[in-house]
Amino acid sequence: MVKVSKKLHIAISVFLIAALISLCGCDSKPKGEQVLTFSAMDTMVTLKVTGDDSYDVITAINDFVVDYDFNVISRHSESSEISKINKEHKCPETSQLYAPLMKLLSVYQVSLGAYDFTLGNLSDLWGFGTGNEKIPEKEEIDKILASSGAGTLAYTNGDVTFAEGVEIDLGSAGKGMALDKIKEEYLQGSKTQRAVISLGGSILLYGEGEFTVGIADPENSAGSMAKLKVNECCVSTSGNYERYFEKDGVRYHHILDPKTGYPSDSDLVSVTVVSKDGTLSDALSTACFVLGSEDGQLLLQSYECEGVFILKDGTVIVTDGLRGKLEITNNKYELKADYES
Amino acid sequence: MSLKLVRKADLIIVAVIIIAAAGFLLLKNYNSKEEKLIAEITVGGRLYETVDLSAAKEQSRYILDTDPQVVIMAENGQIWFEKSDCPDKVCVKSGKLKHKGDTAVCLPAKTIVTILGSDLDALTY
Repeated sequence: MVKVSKKLHIAISVFLIAALISLCGCDSKPKGEQVLTFSAMDTMVTLKVTGDDSYDVITAINDFVVDYDFNVISRHSESSEISKINKEHKCPETSQLYAPLMKLLSVYQVSLGAYDFTLGNLSDLWGFGTGNEKIPEKEEIDKILASSGAGTLAYTNGDVTFAEGVEIDLGSAGKGMALDKIKEEYLQGSKTQRAVISLGGSILLYGEGEFTVGIADPENSAGSMAKLKVNECCVSTSGNYERYFEKDGVRYHHILDPKTGYPSDSDLVSVTVVSKDGTLSDALSTACFVLGSEDGQLLLQSYECEGVFILKDGTVIVTDGLRGKLEITNNKYELKADYES
Repeated sequence: MSLKLVRKADLIIVAVIIIAAAGFLLLKNYNSKEEKLIAEITVGGRLYETVDLSAAKEQSRYILDTDPQVVIMAENGQIWFEKSDCPDKVCVKSGKLKHKGDTAVCLPAKTIVTILGSDLDALTY
């Protein structure tokens, strides 16, 4: 009798001590989580990967991001694929940028020209982010608009060709394109359980379960104004609050309206787009920002994507698929009555 | 004598362990509910300074010998990029950090300021 009791005594004690240790959360981080932060793609990159092979995966993604930036999408790198395409005024069908450019061309067409990825020369004219920003002369803007635009792209023997005035700029889609490649080439097929890949504000959330994404407060972008609950997807935001300069009390931000050549002046200060596809989430957020809240919602519908629109007056609109998923945490903003969950 | 599976002493030990565990968890939750704001300044991925914003009632100024140089201020539970010699000033325009998870970045100076303890997986901006 005594023998049985002693064994039980030890068993209960061991069980409870183990339970106590696990409850205290002495090791609350999932096994195999790796976090890495570095600068690339003209922004701060943060990678968080959880899984048995997370070290190998995160190292490979780090190398990929640096390589993809320098050798593929950066206009400022002379040896990059996009610089070569711009120099030769031709994107061959064999180029790895061919398929993404076709996707961007579709956004240009469906948005009726509100999104245009061929206005690199116009962006350079304004000088955003260089410290030498200026308001260009209207004649200079009109001259560039007359000789460029995705509408001038043509197909020649299977390749995409374009005129000399066209300068393809992947600033509004390159991060999303990178997210698609990361998902396809480095996460799918690996032992990764969960990953959060933040290329600046363009994010890939990978794995099972729910993720919480903060949406930057346009008036104080260091903080968030809402929490958005999503499952595996890509999220991108375009706003007028980050890259801009002010002259005579007027703010000139970096998202240019392809129709006018001037900073877009819709009813929005920020748009966040949620999509399964990174290229689309990135490009559509810019397109929606230019289109405004009404046409922007229609555009998202045609791509089966979801979005959060922050209007200039602080009103917030969410598309149907995100109803009940957005929690506004800053009382300066209010969900539009018709859109409450 | 009957077959007693659990002795009185066993029950006492079990009770003591449960009370200890409950007490520890209560204490842990009590501490985490305190609005203690800790900011971290990192430069080039390395920790430069940890700032207890809850304690920083007085103004503190951090002049970082980065290239370009940045100046970070902390006061009254807030921290922010006061000045930067970078061209775009995105860091200064980001505004003041005052809640858990708030983050501001000066890319040219490779400097990040963040308030720890966020429940967010990421921030889109």
